[in-house]
Amino acid sequence: MTVAAGVGYVLIALGPALSLLASVIAKKPFLILTLLSSTLFWLISLIILAGAWRAFLPVKSTELWPYSILILTSVGFQEGIRIGFWRLFKKMEDMLNAFADRVSKPRLFLTDKMLLALAGGLGHGLAHAVFFCLSLLTPAFGPATFYVDKCPSIPFFLISAIIALGFVIIHTFSMVIAFNGYTEGKRKDQIFVPFAHLIAALITLINLVPGGCNIGLPLLCIMAGTTLYYSWQLVWRRLTEHQTTRSSD
Amino acid sequence: MPPPDDPPSTTTAATKTSIIDSLGVEIVGVMSPVSICMLLVVLILTSLSSPSTTSSTSPPPVTAATLIYVESDSDSPSHKLLGAVLDAAAFVALIAAATFVLVLLYYYNFTSFLKNYLRFSVFFVLFSMGGSIMASLLQHFSIPLDAPTSFILLFNFAILGVLSVFSPAVPILLRQSYMVSVAVIVAVWFARLPEWTTWVLLIALALYDLAAVLCPHGPLRILVELASSRDEELPALVYEARPADSSHPVSPPASTPVASLGSVEMQPVSEASNSNSSSVDEEERSPLVSSPPVVRENLSNFNHEQVRESNNSNHAVVEMETGESETLPLVEREGFRSSSNSDSEFEMFDSTRGIRLGLGDFVFYSVLVGRAAMYDLMTVYACYLAIISGLGCTLILLSVFRHALPALPISITLGVIFYFLTRLLMEPFVVGASTNLVMF
Repeated sequence: MTVAAGVGYVLIALGPALSLLASVIAKKPFLILTLLSSTLFWLISLIILAGAWRAFLPVKSTELWPYSILILTSVGFQEGIRIGFWRLFKKMEDMLNAFADRVSKPRLFLTDKMLLALAGGLGHGLAHAVFFCLSLLTPAFGPATFYVDKCPSIPFFLISAIIALGFVIIHTFSMVIAFNGYTEGKRKDQIFVPFAHLIAALITLINLVPGGCNIGLPLLCIMAGTTLYYSWQLVWRRLTEHQTTRSSD
Repeated sequence: MPPPDDPPSTTTAATKTSIIDSLGVEIVGVMSPVSICMLLVVLILTSLSSPSTTSSTSPPPVTAATLIYVESDSDSPSHKLLGAVLDAAAFVALIAAATFVLVLLYYYNFTSFLKNYLRFSVFFVLFSMGGSIMASLLQHFSIPLDAPTSFILLFNFAILGVLSVFSPAVPILLRQSYMVSVAVIVAVWFARLPEWTTWVLLIALALYDLAAVLCPHGPLRILVELASSRDEELPALVYEARPADSSHPVSPPASTPVASLGSVEMQPVSEASNSNSSSVDEEERSPLVSSPPVVRENLSNFNHEQVRESNNSNHAVVEMETGESETLPLVEREGFRSSSNSDSEFEMFDSTRGIRLGLGDFVFYSVLVGRAAMYDLMTVYACYLAIISGLGCTLILLSVFRHALPALPISITLGVIFYFLTRLLMEPFVVGASTNLVMF
């Protein structure tokens, strides 16, 4: 609608991400590098997906089933990539620990590992927000606004900003959960992450139904809140366990 | 013997220095000015090109890059491609000739001529090219600034730029800002070239850079070897990513005055040891640090040499760092011996080596991103990520190979690949999904 509205939409989508960036990530240059590489990773996975789906695009109809296949394949691929990302992360951790031994500095703390997972997840979330929301926001800086047919009550830019916000939170914290789950070997955490991602993506399918966005948006926010809560519980538990094991030495 | 990973339980983890706190400072120190330059170029281009230039199909400026063929919309793609290739070949030939002239002049010690030519060209860029950009911005945003005031402001800006580019006494932050502004102005000017010409030119320049720096008789390689054999600064406009001050929260406050001296300290000694091994460094540093083998390892990991790259034909010139700057580090170094805090010295040597990146690289990265911005924002982000990752790869290779490396090829190749992949593959996929509000 105006520059103010455009900036407002950007801040809705990226507000928590920017505050995480400013308070946690910007202080340690290594986390910035981790963020950039995980963003690149997500971009490459998106390009591969787009390449695989190129022959079937554009999807002419707005039926549910082509989009659901799209979502199933995309989420499955991305979750598979996450395991690969975790393997890379383990290798990097080993390299960092070897380097730390060489210069006789302490090895990676638990908080360091969690910070690295957070930076990786935030990279994925930022990439999602940028490619799915921000790149379409350019008209929002102009004099008008836009409504999608299926959702005549909320401007398109606002919906995509809120969806992007939800997904930023989901991506960021599910990376923390996933890394902890793979490190500790807990099945529950490992299953939670792909599940949450899949459910959140399927919720956005509701937006294809006329008037569906009124239901889809709150559900997505609930999903994001669930992921946040789960990761909070997990991190709390791990930190208190770590504290007690350390103080009992 | 278990590694010392359990800090005493009395201190919290926040006050303990961890390994990831200071790793990667130099890389981020180079990436941030590149990012800022790209951001400014994208902002200027998008704000200047919105309403007016789409309607006016004014002929593109007659430049060295459009000597042979000027692209117009009515030509067939093959004709455009052929014309673009010819243009790019002519431009690269021109740059190669200019670089050879520069090498000759440097070889015969015409350094003061080169220095004055560089001053003139910086003034020209800042005053006239920067002035025209300023005029279009003032016009576009209807800023009420009268002509004499803007002339005086512009003149002051340009003169300060000329002074800051060459004098070692100017604060490093000012010099870095002027380097970035020169790069922004030149990149905005270059981005006005027609589309096919721009892409072919970028690829041709990446290939030229590869040849000029790595081939045994490439002009830039000769230049680097001449400069290192004379123990002088390289005669070019380079951006030095020195830390302006010690802003790490983990370094103890006692090291701050020591660290600020370090920003002067790191400079010419590294050049002296450019072609030799680090034996000179180790001797000079070992009395200052408690554990020499540790520092040696650290230096070998973080010992980034300079990255000397291709330059714009307008800007291939001399940077004047004469012998007097070489005495400064010896003077300042006395201050180090009194500081016995080995932690601060570790932080110090962690950040002493500054990476240097030629201004031509800034310009052509920004040209690529600016051209991507003329299509869509999605391609801008994809190209930005590609360039930054290419730059990261180049820096890693730099720490492995330890001599001057071309910074253009990897980044430009990745940038071009990602631009076309995004434009052709990703855009229909993502836009189709997100306009139907289906996201994952």
